[in-house]
Amino acid sequence: MISSFLADPAFLEDMVRILFVFVLITAAFILSTRNIASLLTVYAVQSLLLVLIASSLYFIEGNRTLLAIAALTLVSKVLLIPIFINLIGEKIKISRDLKFNYLEPTASLLVSMGLILLAYVFLSGFFNEFILGKLFFIGAVIGLSLTLMGMLVIFSRRKVITKVIGYLTMENGVLLFGIFVADLPFIIEILIVIDLMILVLLITILAIGLDSTSEEYYQRLQTLKIWSGGED
Amino acid sequence: MIIFGYLAAGAIALALILLSKSHRAMNAFCILHTLAFLAIGLYALFTTAVPAFEAGSKYFYVDHLSIYEVLIAALLFFLASVYANGYVESLMQAQELHRNNLKIFYMVFSLLLTTATLAFFSDNLALFWIFAELTTVFSAALVAILSAKENIDAAIKYIFIASGAMLFSFIGLIFLYTLSGEVLGSGTLNWTVLVENAALLSPKMLTASFVFLFIGFAAKSGIFPFHTWLPDAHSKAPSAVSAILSGVLLNIGMYGILRMYAVIRQTQAEDMASQFLMGFGLLTVAVAVLNMLLQKNLKMLIAFSSVEHMGILLIGIGVGTPFALFWTLFYVLAHSLTKASLFFSAGILHRQYESNLIQDIRDVFSLQPIAGWGFVIGSFAIIGMPPFPIFSAKLFILLEAFGFSKPLVFAVLLLLVIASAAFARFLIEAFTRSSKEAGPEGLETPLTPYVVRRGMKFPILSIIFMILALGVFFPESLENLLNEIVQELGYL
Repeated sequence: MISSFLADPAFLEDMVRILFVFVLITAAFILSTRNIASLLTVYAVQSLLLVLIASSLYFIEGNRTLLAIAALTLVSKVLLIPIFINLIGEKIKISRDLKFNYLEPTASLLVSMGLILLAYVFLSGFFNEFILGKLFFIGAVIGLSLTLMGMLVIFSRRKVITKVIGYLTMENGVLLFGIFVADLPFIIEILIVIDLMILVLLITILAIGLDSTSEEYYQRLQTLKIWSGGED
Repeated sequence: MIIFGYLAAGAIALALILLSKSHRAMNAFCILHTLAFLAIGLYALFTTAVPAFEAGSKYFYVDHLSIYEVLIAALLFFLASVYANGYVESLMQAQELHRNNLKIFYMVFSLLLTTATLAFFSDNLALFWIFAELTTVFSAALVAILSAKENIDAAIKYIFIASGAMLFSFIGLIFLYTLSGEVLGSGTLNWTVLVENAALLSPKMLTASFVFLFIGFAAKSGIFPFHTWLPDAHSKAPSAVSAILSGVLLNIGMYGILRMYAVIRQTQAEDMASQFLMGFGLLTVAVAVLNMLLQKNLKMLIAFSSVEHMGILLIGIGVGTPFALFWTLFYVLAHSLTKASLFFSAGILHRQYESNLIQDIRDVFSLQPIAGWGFVIGSFAIIGMPPFPIFSAKLFILLEAFGFSKPLVFAVLLLLVIASAAFARFLIEAFTRSSKEAGPEGLETPLTPYVVRRGMKFPILSIIFMILALGVFFPESLENLLNEIVQELGYL
């Protein structure tokens, strides 16, 4: 039963289109949600959607790299990164990010609609030179829009933890763009994920210190035992 | 072989720093690490066949440009690690750096040198991207190592702007990969292949990918409008780190732009790319100079001056003639050295006055003669006075730019005058103040001189010696090296 669905490219392409819509919904959520725990859940869901998109594409195209990307994304972005940030978020007792810079949620949703249109117009100007299917074009548009919306999150949110989620959203957008447009060597995907993990690790550790003076910061790091590298 | 040498030296240095117990040992291993990197670079330059692929794969590529950049990087890291010996000790004494963070400082410092080196040797642009990203993360950790709130703020801003912009670069890489796949059959991100087949690539698509790549590399080099992180990060970082940030890290972004320009200049999109770079270069110089003019913070002044110089480098790349490229490459060396000497001097002054602000500086020449004169000479050098090397580099780049656009050159010259005025104003106001004259609140109590620690004077003096020598004589070996680079980039 399922295998007959998986063998039907038309069905799979429709599935991918629906998943695109879901991805945009998660991005809109990240722009407006105030509760950090739900932000993380939404990010994990968004990454899971990318896993599903990559797997569907594998069944359409049969490119093994896509399956590897799906597995890597599942482990790193659906599981490890959200769990880690959640851990840090609990320790520093930030549960909500209430304030917005420059743009309130309604305005940022309007701006992101503009960004999606912009991505469409920009890419359609260039993509006529590529011999790519319609689905791939939409994938690239959604990927670029997601990147721009992630950037909007970095600009418009106050707390560093929320900004990190914005950065991760941007990165998801690049991944989406990448899996549709090019089949990059897998080694590069692995290196990007490693880079992402180091970056998230560093920023979240730094975020612990932001709301405290340097003495308190040091004590907090000591008690949390994340930054211990001394000899005494 | 060369890459393995670098990796082995980097790994051994990291392990030794990890195992060492005292500050002296960590610093010594760090210095040895930089010396080993210098030695491998010189060995590669003089004894091996260059350009060549490394490690039997297409991922790493050693040519004269990468060796040149790596040698500059290793030299600056060497000077900074010598300086760090006394400087870091002072930071710990002042309790600005916690003793437990000492090992992290040296390990990240050493990792930063290794990743920067690998970035310069990456032929695969995606690999270059990843190493460049890692240098951002490691250098941000060095900015934040002082763990004061303002340092953490600066580091976080740095990471978000530089890494966020680098994600757009990655979109550019994906474009480039697809584009090359359409023409060459299978996609590639190898610079050597791209530069060989550049004429086949569609100029329109190449321009699009160039613009995306530019966003990330420009943010890494502090080009307007992505420069906003730079003054904060460079001025809040410990001075030994500031010198590295300005002297090495900014070069990584410029290196990326230069490599991409070498590809695009072979297509019809050359004019557009040139104008694009020169436009951003001019804007960058303008914004930096206007921020310098009334600057009250010494390290901010130097940091904005880095932004200004990146703008001029961008113009130099944009001019795009072999002659301009030659002097742009020389400019990179001259700027890195001069900027490091300014930050080293500023570091001593900051120890003395515990402030970077103009109103806190007084009695400079009696309290800190070396740092004071180092800063004065460095200022003359950085604004491009003869006989310092930046003078000739600037002169020849602008002469060459004259053929492109006269208004551009006049505008840059005017801005350079303002930049000089900014340094002159700062020097006159801060360096002539004496506590013997009665200020508005009467006589100030004279300060006790800060005892400059071991290793902190040597880097300043040796750089002044080097830039004077470079300004007066132009070594033939350097000239040959730069000519080789111009040729290898396909300009001749």
